[in-house]
Amino acid sequence: MNLRMIGCTHQSTGLDVRQQLAFDPAQTIAALETWQSRFSKAEFVLLSTCNRVELYAAGNGHPTSPDSEQLIDTMLDFHQIPRQKVEGQLLTLADSEVVRHLYRVTASLESMVVGEPQILSQVKQAYQSAQDAGSAGPLLHGLFQSALHTAKRVSSETGLHKHRVSIPSVAIAELASGVFETFDDKHVLVLGAGEMADETLRYLSDAGKPHIHVVNRSLEHGQQLAEKWNGEYHRWDELWEQLAQADLAISTTAATEPLVTAASFAELVAPHRYQRPLFVLDLSVPRDFEPEVGKALGVYLYSLDDLDRACQRNRSARAAELPAAEIIVAQEAENFAVEVNRRATAPVISGLRAGLERPKKAELERLFNKLPDLDEQSRQEIQQFADRLMNKMLHPPLESLRDASQNGTHHGLLEAVRRLFRLED
Amino acid sequence: MLTGINMLCFSASYAIALGLEVYGLWSQARLRRMALLAWSFAGLVAHTWYLGRRVAETSSAPLATHQDWYILAAWALAIIYLAAKFYYRKSSMGLFLLPAVLGLIGASTFASTVPLATFQAPRVWGLIHGLFLMFGTVAVLLGFLAGLMYLVQSYRLKHMIGRSEGLRLPSLEWLERVNSRSLGAATFFVGGGFFTGILSRLASSGGQPGTRNGVPWTDPVVLTLGGMLAWLVAAEVFRLVYPAARQGRKIAYLTVAAFVFLLFALVAMTRDDSLHMVPATETATKTSAEVSL
Repeated sequence: MNLRMIGCTHQSTGLDVRQQLAFDPAQTIAALETWQSRFSKAEFVLLSTCNRVELYAAGNGHPTSPDSEQLIDTMLDFHQIPRQKVEGQLLTLADSEVVRHLYRVTASLESMVVGEPQILSQVKQAYQSAQDAGSAGPLLHGLFQSALHTAKRVSSETGLHKHRVSIPSVAIAELASGVFETFDDKHVLVLGAGEMADETLRYLSDAGKPHIHVVNRSLEHGQQLAEKWNGEYHRWDELWEQLAQADLAISTTAATEPLVTAASFAELVAPHRYQRPLFVLDLSVPRDFEPEVGKALGVYLYSLDDLDRACQRNRSARAAELPAAEIIVAQEAENFAVEVNRRATAPVISGLRAGLERPKKAELERLFNKLPDLDEQSRQEIQQFADRLMNKMLHPPLESLRDASQNGTHHGLLEAVRRLFRLED
Repeated sequence: MLTGINMLCFSASYAIALGLEVYGLWSQARLRRMALLAWSFAGLVAHTWYLGRRVAETSSAPLATHQDWYILAAWALAIIYLAAKFYYRKSSMGLFLLPAVLGLIGASTFASTVPLATFQAPRVWGLIHGLFLMFGTVAVLLGFLAGLMYLVQSYRLKHMIGRSEGLRLPSLEWLERVNSRSLGAATFFVGGGFFTGILSRLASSGGQPGTRNGVPWTDPVVLTLGGMLAWLVAAEVFRLVYPAARQGRKIAYLTVAAFVFLLFALVAMTRDDSLHMVPATETATKTSAEVSL
């Protein structure tokens, strides 16, 4: 098969090393072109994400194909990182291990959050970059196509991707979408400018085009967040007015006491809302909204603890789907190995046929010249006899070759056939 | 072969579809969804065929009898169910809509199969009256079911029950919209049905209340239908002038209450409807005239 993979992942390597080894899109193209010019007979695909940097290489058994050590040097050279800095932290895989690893990565079984969907598009992007740079050849083409197919099977045949596990995704996809049909034109109020608010706004913006309003004590941070999401910043004293207008509120302040008590909500907000649904994500610790606010009609209040419990349930549900996903990966890896081996034996089989076809034709021609009085029917009979004889003689060795290729034990047999029949010549 | 299609055929198809909806609380397999759609569609085709055959056999069908009227209402609700199923593929709306469809078909078995009286009014008036009330019934039922779904969904959201678990319902926003529109449509159709009924009655009596064909205001059917209309108009006015009644649970409660009026009207129509029946003397006269001819 002659496949190699070297790289680092979040499981084996610290963030500092991963950051140094990472490639941005422009660097990826430049690196692939450099390596392609250095190892002209090899194929390369480079996958670089926050959690992994992996270089896939295929050599087709050519003597100039790089081995794992050369690949490590090549990658380190590009970033000019000394080898001792990453000693023992890089992963090296070969042949069937590479296939299995890539399938698991693409199907999101190796992700930090198992089942997260982004990795699939990242693998597609890596493969596309390699195609653009002209560094992906037939072997890696087949490998990546089959990895994408495997990921699709895992996604459609298991429930691995059905259960969301990040707090913002659970909050938006499973709960907020139960209240709102669409997030377009919804009045979204953000209290505070915490990281979790930023992440939740990213999910919301993916789901629709809401109007974002940020209320924050710090003008600078509030305006920054509002600008980032094309929203509007409001002074802190506009909190009640904004809450009365909001459809969805996300709270992430560092306040030590609840900002919105049941009494203040009943007095300052509820009379202006007419029981219009209000979806509140209280992502602060301690809480910004008193739990009793959630008892008001039309208010759907979720705290960080509530959401974390939902995420935990989903994580357990995903874990239950893992064995089914592993079976699919194993099946597809086996199919790929059989296909690669079949391709490896194909030139020998066609060479063998061609090698016997030539003398057969020559002998038939000589015979027909010696017997010029033969009628057409007799000629055809003799022709068919020669064909049948050749096929019957070739059948046992070809069957053995096919069987060996299925088991992956074909290398010795191929070499023997090549030498016996002088196929190199 | 298709001439053998009867009420049992499409009822059984809808019942199987309902069974598959119940099974969907535990499994969201694609095969189940496809089977569900196939059974629902098969039921609707058989239902349509049955109604079509009624039209071919009876000139005044599909509103020739009370039974026809129920079956036509069930057919309209089944179409709404299938359309909703295409819009919300993974929802469990069938758990609410299909029992209503089966309920209407079931009620039709208790309903009269005696041809409805025409009051000597033009047939078109009777048809419009029947259709208005049929659409009004479907609108009230739809509003009631959307209201129920709203209350269930609201409860689930308050108690942190995610959308991916078991019962899958549309968003509160969508249910509220359906609820509100159903209430408006129900007011229009029930009002239209009520007034076309009065007009056709007056037209056939030449405007003289004392005659047999005058409007019998104390008839149970007229009373319950009038009560339902009054409630629907009041609810609609309430909804228009009071903002809190346009959203949230209140609109759901309004449509649930309208359903109670509908139940009274339907029971009255099924049990005590002398209003739409051909009087025995009239039938006898008609029969003897037919014999002498």
